[in-house]
Formats: sequence, structure tokens, C-alpha cells
Amino acid sequence: MKNDFSKPQRQSVAGIIIMTANSLQQIVRALAIPIVIFLMKVNKEMMIYVGIGSLLLLIVSLIFGYMSYLKFTFFLNQEKREFVINKGVFNKTLLTIPLEKIQLVNINQSLLQKIIGVYSLKIDTPGGDKSEGSITAISQETAYELKEQLLNGKRENLVDGKTLDTAKEKIATPILKLSVGTLFKIGLTSNYGRSLALLIGFAYALFYNAKELISTFDKDNGQVEQAIKTGLSLFSVGILIGALLFILFAVNIIRTFVKYFEFEVSQHKHSLLISSGLLAKKNTLLSPQKVQITAYSQNYFQKKFNLLNINLRQAHSGKEEDEKELRKANLEVPGCNPLERDEILKMILGQIPQEAKTFKPNFRFLNLPIFFKVILPLATYLILWFNFEIVKPYYPLAIVYAFVAIVMIYISYTKHRLMVNQDLIIKKSGIWDITFEHIFPHKIQAITTFQYPWHKSVDVGHVNLHTAAGSIRFKYGNYTEIKQLVNYWLYQIECGSEEWM
Amino acid sequence: MQSFTNELIDLNELPKYEEIILENPHPNYWKVIVINISIFFLIVAIALTLFILFNKDFKAYSLAIGIGYLILVIGTFLLYSASFKKRGYALREKDVVYKSGIIAETTTIIPLNRIQHVALDEGLFARFYSLATLEVQTAGGSAGNMRIAGIPIEKAKIIKEALVKRLDLLENATPSQ
Repeated sequence: MKNDFSKPQRQSVAGIIIMTANSLQQIVRALAIPIVIFLMKVNKEMMIYVGIGSLLLLIVSLIFGYMSYLKFTFFLNQEKREFVINKGVFNKTLLTIPLEKIQLVNINQSLLQKIIGVYSLKIDTPGGDKSEGSITAISQETAYELKEQLLNGKRENLVDGKTLDTAKEKIATPILKLSVGTLFKIGLTSNYGRSLALLIGFAYALFYNAKELISTFDKDNGQVEQAIKTGLSLFSVGILIGALLFILFAVNIIRTFVKYFEFEVSQHKHSLLISSGLLAKKNTLLSPQKVQITAYSQNYFQKKFNLLNINLRQAHSGKEEDEKELRKANLEVPGCNPLERDEILKMILGQIPQEAKTFKPNFRFLNLPIFFKVILPLATYLILWFNFEIVKPYYPLAIVYAFVAIVMIYISYTKHRLMVNQDLIIKKSGIWDITFEHIFPHKIQAITTFQYPWHKSVDVGHVNLHTAAGSIRFKYGNYTEIKQLVNYWLYQIECGSEEWM
Repeated sequence: MQSFTNELIDLNELPKYEEIILENPHPNYWKVIVINISIFFLIVAIALTLFILFNKDFKAYSLAIGIGYLILVIGTFLLYSASFKKRGYALREKDVVYKSGIIAETTTIIPLNRIQHVALDEGLFARFYSLATLEVQTAGGSAGNMRIAGIPIEKAKIIKEALVKRLDLLENATPSQ
């Protein structure tokens, strides 16, 4: 290894430029309002002051950038197993990250960094926003070496790490590489939800803005609504739906291309390297043993295309509502074939899931959803039907709704399965996207079992397995079997010495 | 259970969590619950009275509101007393078990080697009866945490000490592996 990270060191010299750009951005942002006011009032004679001001700003940023470059040092404390960052010109900050808490290392390159030829390295720890460390400018080689030591810097690994030829390891063939064709298929089959939300937001904005525009020129007499109505009668509804679907697919495909262009998964020594991106290249490295839940899913179309979705969930701070936090902790492999899936599962789980004993839920699984999603809405409709004339013509819709809802609930019942063997727990669920979630018993943090009093006599109960990346639920199972399984899992957790992270 | 057999463990021989004899919270804790609920309902009652007094339109309904309120109070007390009887906790050699539930009967088990930290809470009214609440947290998020209320303070301290010591033991043991 050329780099010895045990001594405090600075970033690449080119980092000065990045730091300057950063501080320039900060200053401009802080002064944004005065600058805008000034620029509005400026006339030609004052142009010289604008020039001088800009130059001054640049010089200050440069000095600041240089200073922060000088003050920014990082090193790896092998004794204490910590990564230490020292930074700050006026306010000094000492950031210490324990190595075992690191779950992701991101090596990214923005446009400016691409021009200069440096990379940024960001360290993610579960739940920590403030404690995240990031280095904005280091060479690619240093970045990968540092990452290797951060993720796998265990003492025994370090010894053979020294003997390993880094260059040779880097050429390792990727496990998975998404071709343009596959990306196209992914765009056609998955993530409709997010694209639909995007489209609805866009359509709403368009409608709203059109109304605004008209009302500024003219009195708004509902022309927009009128236009939409005439549009509806001109086009047949079928064509309209077709056009909407086409737009939806187009948006979905474009989104997929931007996000997952040149998506690649490869094994980088002891960690998994995932890289992708059309505009900015994103490299994420994770160590397989930090993954808490390994899930893959497939819907009907994906099955026809022989495609699968893999989702690797890592520990997060437990704020499940926090979208950003979740997106950071969850890594997605948008498409792969069964062979590639097995390859990735083998890397993360150390094995391809073997045959397991399957547990089915009791038919009482159907009761509550049917009551709340079918009977209750239908009853409400019936009450309305008897009282209001206008809802009467819509009864075919109600029938279709009831039929679709019952079919969906029944499918979710047939797909709700728990599979257990001595190494793994697999939970299958879903209606359209059928998901398989895999966890090791030693990743379980706590187990909750519960039973309603009226289910005591029929021996039906539920179990929740809490992991650091969310819970896995099995509902309406045979309670005797569940209790037996819980005892078995407790035995595995308490007698095993495996760490969950 | 054919898939388990090659590990030579008889599943029926494993210790059964469902058969542990659980310790109930101290009877005095019921008084604490009563005080807490009473204070809550007192505030609600005051608010309701004021509301009726200042809204002349609602005066006609005051009897109905009063009956509804009474049913709510009695219902709450009944539910809480039922749930209080269900509560129980136990400390095993390798895990903590807590059973609770208002309608459903919930049992949570946290293995000692998964505990992140332990906190001891003493509420204002609980302190009058020298009772405490033990909070056990894991990395499994809020759903995976445990709050055992109504343990005599001395005992709670002993349990906390035992849990914390176990944490230390585990932490000291891991690097040598």
C-alpha cells in the first residue's frame, strides 16, 4: 500500500479549488439577497465596483479555501479503530467515526470534480446526520484504498490486505451490468408509483398555472375546465387513457435511464461496489455483513421479462417516516436475472437460500381486510344509495370495486408466507410485486408475539421480528408453531456469537 | 420439521418463553395509573364544563354529554385494570421478557446481547410509592423497545445493574474473539 493512513494527511492539492468553490458558494448564498438588491439598482458607471466586488469575493474565497484545505486533515487510528477528521478554519471540528459503525462509503464525482479529476468520499453511519464524515477531494486510488481500510480494516484483513495487489483486484469482473435493453425493460415494468406521483404533480401544476395565466389576462370563467371537458368529448376516453399510459411509461423510462445508467455491481475485495448515474457518477460501497434485510421482488411483467428487483436494507435510526434516511440506508438493484440474483445473494448471505419449511397463515387472515376494505365501503355506499338519487347510477363501479378488492385480498393471503430453515428466515408477501425478504436470525433485535383473546381457542397468533432495518411480520399463523419458532430463534441469537453489524 | 433435524436440537427441549413465570408490577402501581387517568379526566371534565357553560346551544345536550363522559371514564378504567392484570416481566439468563396489552396480549422478548441501552425513569407519582419504569432500547426502532412500568425502585436498580453489567461483559468479550 502506497498510502499510510495512520498519519494525519491532507486532501489532494486540487482540493483547494473544490474548497474555494465551496466557500464561494457559501458566501454567495449568505449574501444572496444584498447581491440581488445591488444588481437591480446598479447602473453602468457602477460596473467597475461590481468587478472589484467580484474579484474581492473570489480572493476571499480563495484564501478561505486554501485555509480550509490546510486545516482539513484525516487519519485512521488503527489502535482505537477510529477514523478521525480534523477540520475548520475558525471553528475547529474533530470528527471521530468508529470503524464498526460505518455501513456505507460513497465515492462520488460531481461535474467540477470530474474536470479536476478528483473524487469525494462520504461515510454513512446509521442514523447520524451530523456525524457523517466527508472528504471532498482525493484521488481515485486513495479513495479506494481508504474505503477498503474503512470498511474492512479489521486487523486480520489488514495483514493480507498488504500482500494483495490492489491493481489486480480492481479489474474484477462485474457481477451485474445493466445494458440499455435491460434498462428499457426496467422502465417498462417497475416503479410506476413514483412516476405516477411525479406526473400527477406535473399535471396539477400545469392545470393550476394555466388557470393562473388566463385569470391574469381575462376573467377566469372556467375555460380550462371547459377545455378539458371538450377535449374529453373530442377524444374518446380510450385514446386519452392510452396517451396517459404512454406518457407514464416515457417518464418512467427516462427516469430509469437517468438514475441507473451504466449501473454496475461488482465485488471490490471484501465489499460490494454499486455504481451508476448518467449525469453524476455515483459509487457506493457496502460491506455485506452490514446488510440487515436482503429483499428481492418481482411482478407479473417482470416475470415475463425474467427480471428481478433487489433491495438491500441497512440499519437506520428507526424513524421510518424519514424518507431521506430510508433512501440513504436502502440500496436498490433495479434489475437482474435469477442467475445474477443468486450471485448477489451469495455475496451478501454467503449462500443461496436453501429449501425451507413453509408456514401458512390461517384463513382468518382474510376477515379484517374484507371487513374494512369491502363490507364497510359497500355498506356506506348502500346507505347513500337509499338516501341519495345521484349515487344510484354508479352501482357497477361498486360491484367492480368489491370484486377487485376481494381478489386482491385473496391474493395477498395466498402470498403471505414465512419460510424458515436453520440459517435463514424468509418472508414472502405482496399482491402485485411479490417480495421475498431474507434475514439471518442473528440480525433480529427483538421479537414480539401477540394474540387477540378471541383467537386463543383457535390457536392463531402473530409475530413481529424487529431488525435495525425495519420489522418483518407474520400474521395469523399457528400460534403453537410461532412460539416454537420464537424459542428456536432466541436460542440461535443467544447462543450464537455473530454480530448483527 | 424435517429441515431442522440435522442440527440435533430437539425443538421441544428448548427453553420455552411462553412458560416462564412472570412477575407482576407492584400493586401500588395501579394507584399511580388511577392518579394519572384521574388527572387526565379531571382536565377533560373542566374543559367540557367550561365549553357547555359558554356555548348556550349545547346546554340542552349536557345530560347526554355527561353520560357519554361517564361511560368513557368507566370504560377506560375497566380496560386499564384488565391490561394491568395482564402485565408481567421476567429477566432470564439471556433475555428480558415483557407481557402486556389492552386487548391483544403482546409478549416482547429482547435478547440481552441486543440491548443498546437501559434507562431508569421515575415518574412524579410513581416516586411517592417508590416505583420506577425500566426502559430497554434496541437498534430495532421504537417498536423493538420495551417499557416496564411499576417495578419497585430497589429491584429496578438491581435489574438495570444486571443488564448493564451484561452489556459490559459482552463488549469486553467481543474484541478478544
